[in-house]
Amino acid sequence: MEASTYNYKVVRQFAIMTVVWGIVGMLVGVIIASQLIWPELNFGIPWLTYGRLRPLHTNAVIFAFGGSGLFAASYYIAQRTCQVRLYAEKLASFTFWGWQAVIVSAAITLPMGLTSSKEYAELEWPIDILITLVWVAYAIVFFGTLVKRKTKYIYVSNWFFGAYIITIAMLHIVNNLEIPVTLFKSYSIYAGVQDAMVQWWYGHNAVGFFLTTAFLGMMYYFIPKQAARPIFSYRLSIVHFWSLNFIYMWAGPHHLQYTVLPDWVQSLGMVFSLMLLAPSWGGMMNGVMTLSGAWDKLRTDPILKFLVTSLAFYGMSTFEGPMMAIKTVNALSHYTEWTIGHVHSGALGWVAMITIGSMYYLIPRLFGREEMYSVKLITTHFWVATLGVVLYIAAMWIAGVSQGLDWRASNPDGTLTYTFAQVVKNMYPFYFVRLMGGLMFFSGMLIMAYNVWKTVSIGKVEEAQIPQAVHA
Amino acid sequence: MEILFVLIPVSVVIVLIIGGLFLWAVKSGQFEDMEGPAHRILMDDDTPTQPKRVQ
Amino acid sequence: MKSHDTNSEQCFHCGLPLPTGAYYPVSINDMRHETCCHGCQAVAQMIVDSGNEGYYHHRTEFPATATVQDPEQILRQLQLFDLPEIQRSFVKTGAGDVREAALILEGIVCAACIWLNERHVMQLPGVLAIEINYSTRRARVQWDNSQTQLSEILQAIRDMGYSAHPFDPFQQEQIFMRERALSQRRLAIAGLGMMQVMMYAIPVYVADPGSMTWDIEALMRWASLMLTLPVVFYSAWPFFRGAWRDLLRRHLGMDVPVALGIGASFIASLWATFTHAGEVYFDSVTMFVFFLLAGRYLEMSVRRKSAAAVEAMVKLIPAVATRFCDYPAQHTTEVVPVSQLAVGDVLLIKPGEVIPADGLVLTGSSEADESLLTGESIALAKVAGDHLVGGAINVSSPLQMRVEKVGADTLHAGIVRLLDRAQAEKPKIALLADRVASWFVLALLVIAAAVALTWITVDATRAFWITVSVLVVTCPCALGLATPAALTAATGRLTRLGLLITRGHALETLAKVTHVIFDKTGTLTHGRPELLETIVLGSCSMDRCRAMASALEAMSEHPIACALHDVEAPMLQVQNIIHQTGAGLEGAIEGQRLRLGSPEFVAELHGQSLPSQFALRDGQSMVALGDEQGWLCIFILGDQLRADAHQAIERLKLLGIEVSLLSGDGAPIVRHVAERLGITCFTAQLLPQGKLDRLRQLQQQGEIVAMVGDGVNDAPVLAAAQVSIAMGQGAEVAQASADMVMMTGQLVRLADAISVARQTARIIRQNLLWAVIYNLVAIPAAAFGLVTPWMAGLGMSFSSLLVVLNALRLRQVKYERVNMLSPRPLAPATLVTEGH
Repeated sequence: MEASTYNYKVVRQFAIMTVVWGIVGMLVGVIIASQLIWPELNFGIPWLTYGRLRPLHTNAVIFAFGGSGLFAASYYIAQRTCQVRLYAEKLASFTFWGWQAVIVSAAITLPMGLTSSKEYAELEWPIDILITLVWVAYAIVFFGTLVKRKTKYIYVSNWFFGAYIITIAMLHIVNNLEIPVTLFKSYSIYAGVQDAMVQWWYGHNAVGFFLTTAFLGMMYYFIPKQAARPIFSYRLSIVHFWSLNFIYMWAGPHHLQYTVLPDWVQSLGMVFSLMLLAPSWGGMMNGVMTLSGAWDKLRTDPILKFLVTSLAFYGMSTFEGPMMAIKTVNALSHYTEWTIGHVHSGALGWVAMITIGSMYYLIPRLFGREEMYSVKLITTHFWVATLGVVLYIAAMWIAGVSQGLDWRASNPDGTLTYTFAQVVKNMYPFYFVRLMGGLMFFSGMLIMAYNVWKTVSIGKVEEAQIPQAVHA
Repeated sequence: MEILFVLIPVSVVIVLIIGGLFLWAVKSGQFEDMEGPAHRILMDDDTPTQPKRVQ
Repeated sequence: MKSHDTNSEQCFHCGLPLPTGAYYPVSINDMRHETCCHGCQAVAQMIVDSGNEGYYHHRTEFPATATVQDPEQILRQLQLFDLPEIQRSFVKTGAGDVREAALILEGIVCAACIWLNERHVMQLPGVLAIEINYSTRRARVQWDNSQTQLSEILQAIRDMGYSAHPFDPFQQEQIFMRERALSQRRLAIAGLGMMQVMMYAIPVYVADPGSMTWDIEALMRWASLMLTLPVVFYSAWPFFRGAWRDLLRRHLGMDVPVALGIGASFIASLWATFTHAGEVYFDSVTMFVFFLLAGRYLEMSVRRKSAAAVEAMVKLIPAVATRFCDYPAQHTTEVVPVSQLAVGDVLLIKPGEVIPADGLVLTGSSEADESLLTGESIALAKVAGDHLVGGAINVSSPLQMRVEKVGADTLHAGIVRLLDRAQAEKPKIALLADRVASWFVLALLVIAAAVALTWITVDATRAFWITVSVLVVTCPCALGLATPAALTAATGRLTRLGLLITRGHALETLAKVTHVIFDKTGTLTHGRPELLETIVLGSCSMDRCRAMASALEAMSEHPIACALHDVEAPMLQVQNIIHQTGAGLEGAIEGQRLRLGSPEFVAELHGQSLPSQFALRDGQSMVALGDEQGWLCIFILGDQLRADAHQAIERLKLLGIEVSLLSGDGAPIVRHVAERLGITCFTAQLLPQGKLDRLRQLQQQGEIVAMVGDGVNDAPVLAAAQVSIAMGQGAEVAQASADMVMMTGQLVRLADAISVARQTARIIRQNLLWAVIYNLVAIPAAAFGLVTPWMAGLGMSFSSLLVVLNALRLRQVKYERVNMLSPRPLAPATLVTEGH
């Protein structure tokens, strides 16, 4: 007997945890932003030092908040577009509990200082193994659902999710090949510059496939659904998918401009980073043009505001990124706050905004309600969050450029004009503005949490029927 | 850069996999209708209060 | 809100305003909605009852108003599709009772329609799968024949207010689809290989000399090799096969240097990879293959689009027809397969149906849309006595027709044969291009060999790649590819204008034409009786007379009837109609006894003689209308000039073309026509031999002559002209010996055709010029070692792409739109009379 309802349970679980982890991750972000202004805020406790909390912040927002959002969205979209219930539901349930276990162990081990010291892959080997298991289960559930689909066509979102699942699995395994020495310590099998190369091949593609490809999958579903209009060009979305995947792989070395990496590898990174611009903007235009003829909806619909604004930030940061990969620009921007600003225009502006918009779309549907408890609060959240992002990236951009200029400024006799400490001191006002921006974004999440709480508590959990061809 | 001896073969394998997937997609007719799928997701009514009232 | 806001004055289903007093409610979820008619009510009720009311929520467009149907009758008709002999052509038989058919859906206006159809059909027991392609509006349906029948599926679609016809995916289309999928795959593999190989090649280019160690370079080479293998052995396979075939036939086609270039660079790169010596050209090879394939793919789509206009014509004939069982004794009908129709059968053609065979209208008046056959965009009025062309669509009201021609004798079949012939003949210019290309290739191989030998003596290390560059950089494509591309694009263009090219050489000759000779009857004129003048003799107004004549003739099948048929006249009731063969008609309108016909016949009714004598010229005739009191009016009928004849002559003169008129008719009328149209050179009273002599004379003066005639009477003259154009508004098209057939009666299209032909010639010249310049620059540059193989590949690819894109411009040649409200104007302003 075939199932007649969709599996919304696991989607619900992930959707709720998306909000929870969003708050946790951003709170940690706010704390470390404050520590940069007031270093004594670690109270002398090693667990609360900047060096330990910073990886916790990145892991919490990328993998806990973003990851849960992606699980929720991909399970929902795969079921709805394939018109079947999830494949291997026990495994699906395992992905939820397993992923939460990964996050919780990260939240414990990272402040304890247990790290493999690879950015975005800090977790130690036992957790890496758990991640691998969860990811394999995820792949089985997702692709199994696609295989048993009732529709002929695989909707473009699923193509994006599929690429993300496969690539992340490969990246994770290759980058985390390590030799354990104790239960909590391991060494990478790569050494020196080789390790750096693998790390940034991983690091960049993690950004590429986790933070871009996967969220584009979200974009290609939720924007058309919320706007009630088909995607501007389905053909373009398919072209977007294939071209993005081909070019991304090789752009990694731009993270290592002016390092011991051979010069030609650096140049290669630059060339392919520039080539990325075309598919990225193609995708953005495709999303934005979906609203052509329905721009008025943007005025009244805060969810659509979130989704479309996220695209604007996506366009902005995918323009900024290739620019920063150009060697001459990179000479100025590398290691400065500009990079932080760039990352956050992508992370807050694109990733967080599209996730928040998608969750506002999903949560009422998952809890049997027509819409969120308060649409007005969504609007408030939107404005608070947008202002927060703008403050954040503007502050970091100015800070970064002046920092870069100050570092390279030299006197006629060849000595540096500013000492390092002087440049750090100049950063304080910008750090403060950044903290304000971060706080605003964080408070937006609290508004969301309240709204979600109210929606869930008056909603009723109801399994959605799969449209069946009822034989009369 | 000995690491390239790992990364490049890996990328060759990936390209072959992607190429295979693409061929499968062409063969199974995924690209036959370049408009329909965009409309189909909109026909899927996922609002929870069913049956939907028509005005 | 996605659905249209239907208010209380609008039909809930189709959105039209509700007629006053209409009461056809439908209730959904206890809400009542008003519809405009029984048809809409039934469809809406069916949609709601089957649980698909979501349709109304999702739709973005209103469907057409539903018509009331007699389900029994429709089912009877549809059941014909269940017959095995009918199904043979379009149904695929699967395991057991599983059957699969392709359907064309009509009435689809938005995505919700597709949703509704898919859901509703899936609800039928026995239907295994249905899938509708949004872009093409075609459906594939699979069912279990033991549980349901195709007719039930078709009926279910009808119930929703749509209609579906099975269609036979033509052999040619299937071949094309397979071909396209194959080239898509080849192109994709080449593109993929190219991009990735480039990623291994760029590091080598950007690395400072010495900064990349040999082992890394070797790694890059091996990786490139792996990804080039499928490109060379899968994507580039057609080039090797083509070259091999050419060589077997001892003919040097353009595949030969291409295959040589690809093969040589690949083998050299392979050698270099194994021996760690010399250069690799994997990036050049893949790029070269990709761009070549892209050019061919583009050309294939152009060809396809041009062929689509032709194929649309081939698919017109419906599978079944409604035949009267025993006409005119009984009015019962039966539905029969078209293949069983015979000459003399009387058919009922309902509005919206495709006319299944050539024939004559017996009763009824409607319009026929022949646009797919002739390019004529305006539906033509059809009344009793008019010819109907198989493949046209009956637009507005039912017609009864008698079948005159079936199967291979029909106009439609004739057109298809003509098109086949044109496609089978290769244009002279293309043949020439082929020959030139072949010499070109030979010369190229000789040059390449010479370059190789020279360089071996000068600098042997560079000899190889320079030779490869020479092979790759030359572009025979402009000769071999772009000429046919331009010709196909132009042919497609002309077909859409209503001009069929039936001979390969027509287009190139047309471009050179300096003199056009017209025949008069049937060419500059319509060649059939038309109402020229109405002379009122009695007390009735002219309009009243016309209306009465029209009403009387509405019952007649006589050719004169259509001349008197007046679409704008009010319909009058005619009683006691008597048909007097060879004389005329008698009938009563509103109690008034009337006669219409020859003056003698009418005079019998009232005994009066004609008040005056009317001078009639050649080809004119007179029809009188009278009642018991006396004469009412005289209709003068005659042949009439085509509405756009004058404009056409003007346009030709603007193009710098001489125009003359050769006619067998009497001098006064020919002079009259010539003066009206501004033709200074005309000759009257010519026998076909005379026309021929005149034509030869012109040709001896060096003129390139196009002859426009009606296709049958002028056959010898047409055959002698360099290019001949037949006016093809009739069944005679099928036998026409002309090089081109003008399917619309629009003479101005001739000037358009000449413009297109000249543009085509211009574009071919440009392409050839480009090819010459490019090769003159590129070959020496390559021979002197200034061009690396990858640059050569790029240059050559862009060169051929440029040439194909240039040919594509032909599809946008501007031409003047002609607005002819009616091909049979009744206004007496364009009379060819000289007064009485």
